[in-house]
Amino acid sequence: MDIVRTDFPFISLSLALPAISALLVVFLQERFARAVSVVGAGATFLLSLLVVYLFDYSRTSAVQFYEEYTILDELNIKLSLGLDGLSLLMYLLTALVSLVAIVWSVKDRQVSFRLKEYFVAFLLTESFLIGVFASYDVLVFYVFYELTLIPMLFAIGVWGYKLRLYSAYKFFIYIFVSSLFLLLGIASVAVVHYKNTGSFSFSYFDLLKNSYTPGLEIFLFLLFFIAFAVKTPLVPFHTWLPDAHGEAPTAGSVVLAAMLLKMGTYALLRFNLGLFPDATVKLMPFMVAIGIITIIYASWMTIVQNNIKRFVAYSSVSHMGFVVTAMFLLTQEGLRASVIEMFAHGMTSASLFMIAGFIYNRLHTFNMSSLRGSVKFMPMFAVIVAMTSFASMGLPGGSSFWGKFLTILAAKEYSYALALLVLVGAFFSAAYILFMLKTLFLDVREESILIHFTDIRGFKLASFIMLMVPIFLIGFFPHLFFNMFEGSIGFILKNLLGLE
Amino acid sequence: MDIGQLVGAVQIPRLELFLPELTVLITAFLLFTLELVLSSPLKRVVLPSLSAIGYILALMSVGVTIQFHGDTFYGTFTNDYLGILVKVFELVIALTVLAFSQRYFQSKGSFYGEFYYILAFTLLGTMILASSYNLIIIYVSLELVSIGFYILTALLRGSFISKEGAFKYLILGGLSIALASYGAVFMYIYSGSIDLREILTYSGGDYHYLILGLVLFLIGFAIKIGAVPFHFWLPDAYQGAPTPVTAFMASVGKLAFFIPVVRIMPLIEDKFALAWMLTVGVIAAVTMLYGNFVALVQRDIKRLLAYSSIAHSGYILAGVAVTKVIGLKAVIYFLVVYAVMSAGSFFVVAMLERDENWNNEIREFSGLRFSMPYLAFAFLVYMFALLGVPPTVGFVGKTLVFMALSFDKLWWLAFVMILSTAVSTGYYVRLVVLMYMKDKEKEVSVPEKSYAELASLLFLTLMTVVLAVAPGIVWQLLSPAAEILFAR
Repeated sequence: MDIVRTDFPFISLSLALPAISALLVVFLQERFARAVSVVGAGATFLLSLLVVYLFDYSRTSAVQFYEEYTILDELNIKLSLGLDGLSLLMYLLTALVSLVAIVWSVKDRQVSFRLKEYFVAFLLTESFLIGVFASYDVLVFYVFYELTLIPMLFAIGVWGYKLRLYSAYKFFIYIFVSSLFLLLGIASVAVVHYKNTGSFSFSYFDLLKNSYTPGLEIFLFLLFFIAFAVKTPLVPFHTWLPDAHGEAPTAGSVVLAAMLLKMGTYALLRFNLGLFPDATVKLMPFMVAIGIITIIYASWMTIVQNNIKRFVAYSSVSHMGFVVTAMFLLTQEGLRASVIEMFAHGMTSASLFMIAGFIYNRLHTFNMSSLRGSVKFMPMFAVIVAMTSFASMGLPGGSSFWGKFLTILAAKEYSYALALLVLVGAFFSAAYILFMLKTLFLDVREESILIHFTDIRGFKLASFIMLMVPIFLIGFFPHLFFNMFEGSIGFILKNLLGLE
Repeated sequence: MDIGQLVGAVQIPRLELFLPELTVLITAFLLFTLELVLSSPLKRVVLPSLSAIGYILALMSVGVTIQFHGDTFYGTFTNDYLGILVKVFELVIALTVLAFSQRYFQSKGSFYGEFYYILAFTLLGTMILASSYNLIIIYVSLELVSIGFYILTALLRGSFISKEGAFKYLILGGLSIALASYGAVFMYIYSGSIDLREILTYSGGDYHYLILGLVLFLIGFAIKIGAVPFHFWLPDAYQGAPTPVTAFMASVGKLAFFIPVVRIMPLIEDKFALAWMLTVGVIAAVTMLYGNFVALVQRDIKRLLAYSSIAHSGYILAGVAVTKVIGLKAVIYFLVVYAVMSAGSFFVVAMLERDENWNNEIREFSGLRFSMPYLAFAFLVYMFALLGVPPTVGFVGKTLVFMALSFDKLWWLAFVMILSTAVSTGYYVRLVVLMYMKDKEKEVSVPEKSYAELASLLFLTLMTVVLAVAPGIVWQLLSPAAEILFAR
């Protein structure tokens, strides 16, 4: 992997901006909390756009904007930050969705107390997430990966709905315990580097050169996999997700679904596929099977949910199934599908959770059967719901189309039976989305309170529009995004199949 | 032997190596004398400030001793990097103990002049324990520390649990010292030497004596550090002792009692390495599991922290099982930072105890954030540090232990450690949830906080993060310490 150093510390600046805004929120009066957060997140987003503009697209496999600060010389721990094409996409996603979540929270009624802490939590999450996606030191990656847990624990536990404490515990324990396996794995790869070369190293570039005995490689692959499978989540490790997403405040669910899940899939791609190529090739059929099971099981679970937030949560699991299935097909098409679907799902799931939150503000229930016909008298909102749903379903022109379409193409290369299974999964995902649309649009509701609902406007409309733009951008101009990460996935693939 | 030979054999002790201990010794005697002669109101001012001055001078003289290394007093006292590192932490934490104890004893309605000189003597014992290979010196300083702890535990004369804890500690502590000294005897029989370095590198002789001696010696220390199944005194003593003393025992005490084990560990020969690994590994596994499982059901915060202390002994012992440089580094790092974390967490409890309605029950932490935001935040940092969430020292410690375990491919122990950390999530996160996410159960207010207390708490809390984010601070002493111990 090539490294392009930078003259100006873009990445540490975009790590620091939200953190500094968080500090400001702490020390300023409560009435400034909203304004400072929006400005801070907005500035970070603008900075990310600048970085996207300055990125050199002719060499996306290289790590650009690279910075390095030594933490501990002897063990070779460095704060090394940089972006390759894959990280760049995730970084853009983080900056965008964090801004959306914060803009949404400005007028969210669920957030009426402990405002300062709320915005501090979200700003810190943004900072940590940028750290996760931009770190090229495995231990520093782990530090950021774990740090995102703490603000989310608070977001769920303090501002969540009825079962918030239970969900917060469950969320924290699941993720924390599973990532201990990852920590053991990280410690072990550094030790393997010591045994190979005589010095410890946590640097991703050094670890790429590690050589393992076959048994150890599979063992380490599994240690990493457990953590990321819980985070992603894959069936059967998904049970924390419906609770956490279902009970979190709207912006919390948005951040969880759009970015925290991507940490899992991003890390699978970056670390499992990158560091353990032989084990990946050997275990590929099992991983694809887990992906397929996740798609189909989660889709079935989605259809029977009665709570709209849990409904969206399970649909997220099913989409993550697509991402993992496509990823482990280990072809160019598959990896493309997987990465584009990560980004696309970030947009659509965020939007779906915001829809659920918006309806809750009007009707004070998440119960599907009480939501019948609820969007009827809100034309603008109805349009947004329709666009999001069709995009999520995978209709051409929407963001998820390319992910699903390319997954099926890649699966066909492997076998027609597999392609058929993916197609079945896609069918179910269309089924549950249509089911939701039917409930929200077509079912007749007797009560006339619906007429008094005001349509969406102001900050909430703005946050939806920020998501709609990229949804259609992906749908109609996918090459814009493919160009970003073409080189990165090419590098991973070459490394995997030994085509140096 | 004629007189000339005898005179020639007399060494002039290199007092520059012994300077910190000497300072603390003089301080202790001064405190002892002044406690007898001064009038009561004067004592309240003079004793704490004199102790503080003495400890600060000692800390400065530790800085002086960094340039000198080697043995003195006929090889019974060794000044090396390990000793220096440990002494720095011991003295700093002793200073913070002073800061917290004054108001604490005031709130209990009494003043104990003897606290200050016993603390000084105990500190002296821990400092000598940290820098000796000599079995007799280890024995004597062990006694000095232990007797100090028995008295300090029983300091609250009116309280029943204080006396009960001290009595249990006395009985089991006596047993531990008896075992350790018996073990020392066997080691002497084996090699004819009382220097651990000579004993463990001695070849020839019946090595069954060595094994017997080493096992008895280590069981003695296992009792002191609270390894399961020798831990029974620990929760009672920690609960009964005045809380600043508990903090002192849990941090400085644990640090000092571990040091002889740390000094033995690099001297274990390769033919015993497997036996050592298995024995220590099994004890470590049992200790961490037991400590964490029992901590789950505690209702008293001091007992909870005591069981967490047992569990941490287990984590550190897991590092001890790996007789490699990385294992030693992990152990030393974890030991010094555990001292910081545990002292800090007990100090928070010590401050809360000054509220009259506070009963040390866990449910009283509900909504602590609303009545005492800064104290609650400090406790949050300690809980996450003890749990091992980055970027705190507990996380770096666990990472190093994991590295050590994977170095020797001790996967089973690593998995036991993961399991027990998973169990510990239950009680650490519960405290965080109680403080930040539950409603306030009752108003807690701590009267008249002193600046010394607040500064100490701020310092310890900062250290909990800083030593992890910039580990180089500890590492520049720790790394040569471990390398030198391994260069046999």
